[in-house]
Amino acid sequence: MLEFIIQNNIVCHAVEAMLFASVACAVLSVIITQVQISSIGFTMAHAAFAGAAVGMFLSINPTVCSIVAGVSVAFLIGPLSDKARLSPDTSLGLLFGICMAVAIFFIAYMQTLGQGFSAMGLLFGDVISLYREEVYLLAAICIVAIAFIVVLYKEITAIIFDRRIAESVGIRVKPVYYAMLFVIALTVALCLPIIGGLLLYVWLVAPAAIALQFCNRLSAMFVVAPTVAAVISISGALVGLEYSLPVAPLTAVLFSVVFIAAVLLSPRRRVTFRKI
Amino acid sequence: MTPSDPIIRLENVYTAYEGADRPTLTDISLSIGKGEFVVIGGPNGAGKTTLLETINGMLPITHGKATVCGQDVRGDGVQVRCRVGYLLQNFAFDPLTPFTVEEVVLMGRYGTIGLFRKPGKQDYDAVRIALQRLGIEDLAIRPIGQLSGGQQQKVLMAQNLARNPEVLLLDEPFSNLDMFAREEINRLLARLVRSGITVLIVSHAFDDLPDGPVRVVVMQEGTIVVSRECSPKEVEQVVRSAGKVASHA
Repeated sequence: MLEFIIQNNIVCHAVEAMLFASVACAVLSVIITQVQISSIGFTMAHAAFAGAAVGMFLSINPTVCSIVAGVSVAFLIGPLSDKARLSPDTSLGLLFGICMAVAIFFIAYMQTLGQGFSAMGLLFGDVISLYREEVYLLAAICIVAIAFIVVLYKEITAIIFDRRIAESVGIRVKPVYYAMLFVIALTVALCLPIIGGLLLYVWLVAPAAIALQFCNRLSAMFVVAPTVAAVISISGALVGLEYSLPVAPLTAVLFSVVFIAAVLLSPRRRVTFRKI
Repeated sequence: MTPSDPIIRLENVYTAYEGADRPTLTDISLSIGKGEFVVIGGPNGAGKTTLLETINGMLPITHGKATVCGQDVRGDGVQVRCRVGYLLQNFAFDPLTPFTVEEVVLMGRYGTIGLFRKPGKQDYDAVRIALQRLGIEDLAIRPIGQLSGGQQQKVLMAQNLARNPEVLLLDEPFSNLDMFAREEINRLLARLVRSGITVLIVSHAFDDLPDGPVRVVVMQEGTIVVSRECSPKEVEQVVRSAGKVASHA
């Protein structure tokens, strides 16, 4: 898609993948941080990671396995909390631990079998060996994530504002909420091979956290977060490939630096401090 | 529904929270007419908020029948909520909440607009009128998190008025308001009741209630112990004496 700008195929695919993955994650990061379900996003990322590890071990398509695992976890949290009479937070903590244990077990076991290299890509991401089809899939999920927000914008913003108020004004909160979790799980699963299970969480939180420092309106956050994420991710990919540095970890560090700078420069915070 | 039919009718209603061992509301029967002003009193934990959330279908009815605006609450909870305003108690928004006052008030119409549709001119007109009724039209573009508690309360009130409700359920509407704002809200409530809107209000502050007949409903341990008409000045006395009788029983 960007071949007319970037001639090198590997670099081109890497930039495209980072662009689509970052935009998809960033628009969803606004939902994740504002509905305050970051722990669900965190657990889903690790469930997808565990699913992919199991898939690799069993020679089943890791992407399909990670989608199944991510969605299952999203839909398990409620019933598990009710049945075991645990708070959702405790249920998420348990599920996170179990997912992490499963993922590490299979990665370690594959290393003993000499298949460790491909499994390591799940941990820290891999943008080098991408097929064109994988980039198309990322472009598709990017469109799905944006379309989801555009189509259900009213309902999503009301749920972000307050779930109980959203329910009281006549919005069917549960179906929209579960649709949100499904789109997040799908995005997480498809972005996992690019960004890696351990770093994906940065993409799901940092863009919205940066945008919030400058935006008074949610609509602005939905524009600023993906723009910032795209710029940081493309920069990370170009710099990483140019100097042979690991792309996803480098980009995650860039996100952290930009977040710190945003907090220091935020006009919204300055107003708050002055008020105090 | 004929004009003489009650706008709210509860018959032997039991409500239980998900996972609870026993019902929170027990055998509630209540009939409220169009344009009535109802004050719900009683001690903390008596089930006042639960009663409001049962009426607008936010809580599951485990037994009995409830109809609001002629619609079955059990089957059409979402439809009921499109016609019933509900002001929840104790809201305070973080200064970084990314919503302007206008956006928050517009949310009041989201249920009536329907899925996949965008707000139209009539929705923005309703928002403008609701803001004017509360006297906060100059705050329209301000972020809600940067307003005082009383102003935020008025914004949420405007959100409910924006969908032109037939019934208004208010849970502690005076909790964040100063004396002047309380008087203002009371005048507004009196106007709403005169225009035929049914108002149910949960409150511990019974002074300065709007003029006109008031129905007092006193709750105790999940059931109604008193439901009678009186003047605004008698409300506190009725609630107090009902509380004493119930505690001695």
